[in-house]
Amino acid sequence: MAEELQMQEAGKGPRKRNIGHKKGKGKKKMKVFHGSGQQKVKMDGKTKKLFRKRARDYNSDDSEDDDNDIEEEEEEAAPPLKFEKKQVHIEDEEDDEKSSDEEVDEDVDVSNDVSDDEDGEIQPGIMKFFEGNTSFKKAFKKIIKRSGTDDVLGPVLSAHKKLVVKKLAEDAAEKKVKGDAKKEKTLLGEKGHVKPDAFSVPHEKLLIGVATKGVVKLFNAVNKAQSSQKGLNPSRSKDAKVIQKRRKEAFFSELGKPSSTVSTSGGGGGDGEGPAWAPLRDNYMLTTSKLKDWDKAADAPEATDGFGRQDDSSSDEDD
Amino acid sequence: MARFRNKKKVVFVKPAKKQPQQNVDHVTDLRKMMLPYTALNLKEKKRNNLKDFLNVAGPMGVTHFLMLSKTGSSPYLRVARTPQGPTLTFKIQEYSLAVDIANSQLRPRVPKDLFKNSPLIVLSGFGTGEQHLKLTTIMFQNIFPAIDIKTVKLSSCQRIVLLNYNKETKLIDFRHYSIRLQPVGVSRRIRKFVQNHQVPDLRSLQDVSDFVTKAGYGSESEGDDEAATVSLASDVGRVNKASTKSAVKLQEIGPRMTLQLIKIEDGLCSGTVIFSEYGNSEEKKEDSEEGSEGDGEEGSEQEDVMDE
Repeated sequence: MAEELQMQEAGKGPRKRNIGHKKGKGKKKMKVFHGSGQQKVKMDGKTKKLFRKRARDYNSDDSEDDDNDIEEEEEEAAPPLKFEKKQVHIEDEEDDEKSSDEEVDEDVDVSNDVSDDEDGEIQPGIMKFFEGNTSFKKAFKKIIKRSGTDDVLGPVLSAHKKLVVKKLAEDAAEKKVKGDAKKEKTLLGEKGHVKPDAFSVPHEKLLIGVATKGVVKLFNAVNKAQSSQKGLNPSRSKDAKVIQKRRKEAFFSELGKPSSTVSTSGGGGGDGEGPAWAPLRDNYMLTTSKLKDWDKAADAPEATDGFGRQDDSSSDEDD
Repeated sequence: MARFRNKKKVVFVKPAKKQPQQNVDHVTDLRKMMLPYTALNLKEKKRNNLKDFLNVAGPMGVTHFLMLSKTGSSPYLRVARTPQGPTLTFKIQEYSLAVDIANSQLRPRVPKDLFKNSPLIVLSGFGTGEQHLKLTTIMFQNIFPAIDIKTVKLSSCQRIVLLNYNKETKLIDFRHYSIRLQPVGVSRRIRKFVQNHQVPDLRSLQDVSDFVTKAGYGSESEGDDEAATVSLASDVGRVNKASTKSAVKLQEIGPRMTLQLIKIEDGLCSGTVIFSEYGNSEEKKEDSEEGSEGDGEEGSEQEDVMDE
């Protein structure tokens, strides 16, 4: 077995150069070792530690790849072993990687290796590199060969697969519930909101007609009122006086015909003789001073139920 | 002095509590409608209640509050006079935003000074003699500043708000239109030419006189009915000269609402219930005199968050 190892070393000599820049230090050391077979003693504690650590790292990787529990156990036992004994592990790993066929011989190898110290021990760290190299290659190839993710979940450990599926389903359900709630809420917020549609057009036309009537009424009234004072500029004091005079005349003429005013106020709601309903009384809330000019507007707008604005203004002009 | 107050009507339109985005749009629409005498950018915080607004309302000369709220059943509009009521509560059966209206129109019209003057208000169908309707009429008339027909400029009348009461359904249609005046008896081409000051396309014509005499498309024949024409007292814009006939054309803008008057309260969102759509108003009066306000059938509108 030891010879085999050596052969491998020789064969794989050039390859180790590909290991990478990280191992540059190790490479150098290896060169030194090549020359002298018995230099094992020269390895200081630091290097030993390093090698041991690397070996351990490597072992752990290996165990993951191959799921070899036995080996793991062995590895755990390794740290207390002496440096020479470490070879055993290394070789074990090597065997594992080479092929599963050789696993049967493992135990024998272990015993052999201990005795073969001189041969095997020479380049403990490097051996590891070789093996690492191949295993890495293997793993890498394996990954490369795999064609994408064949699962919806992506790369998931098999043990967790069910769990993940469950969790995803739960998430989806939760999301759906939340979405439903939100939708409902917006729907509630939208209550009563309608977009104008075609079948309401006749009704709208009717309303526009009503509004138009009101506007025409107002404009005509304005025309009537303003045509009398045409040519007079209210900002000029002379004209303003004339306007004032006319207004006064108009006001008194309005007072002169009481019958019409009665009819207009009576048309509104029959509030001539003090209605029973409080808000319609002339002094409603005046005594309580709740409203100031509440009643003032009240007697004006009834004249025309369709269009109250003019009447409002006519009451304004009195002052 | 009262007259001055009258002219400066200031209105707050405020959401009664935190609203979803949609209703906020509605609030903006209403505010725009109330321009120029309104707090267009009024911000409300969660902890603000009616009292806060009321405190500000006095110094700022705010005369009315329009409050929008929303319950599970439907949105509500409350119109209140400050500082001490009364309050009208309307249930908004349906509403469309200004955006929806604009989207439904081929050519939405928004002249730049459309919102510079307050709208006129037209109330129609309220003359049934019912007292609560009368109160509604007065309320809405007072929200907008009164106009003096002796001095008003027609060019300032750009918008109109229509409230139409339907006797059978007891619903109030709330509409907001822009007013446009067009000279009557002038072909569309010439009108456009005068309005736009653009060089017309005369390629297809033999003579310049064709441009004037040739009839346009059929669209100008419609709407020129007598009812919709007025003779103006003063010039409005470039096209509508004084003492010429003009056609009044309305185009809808702003929000559209179908309201149902539910109750009238004496105070500002409180006090005795003067009128209630549900149940006998007389009973309500007695109820409220005892101090217990609005329960039973009125369970659908327990949104008076801001009372306290």
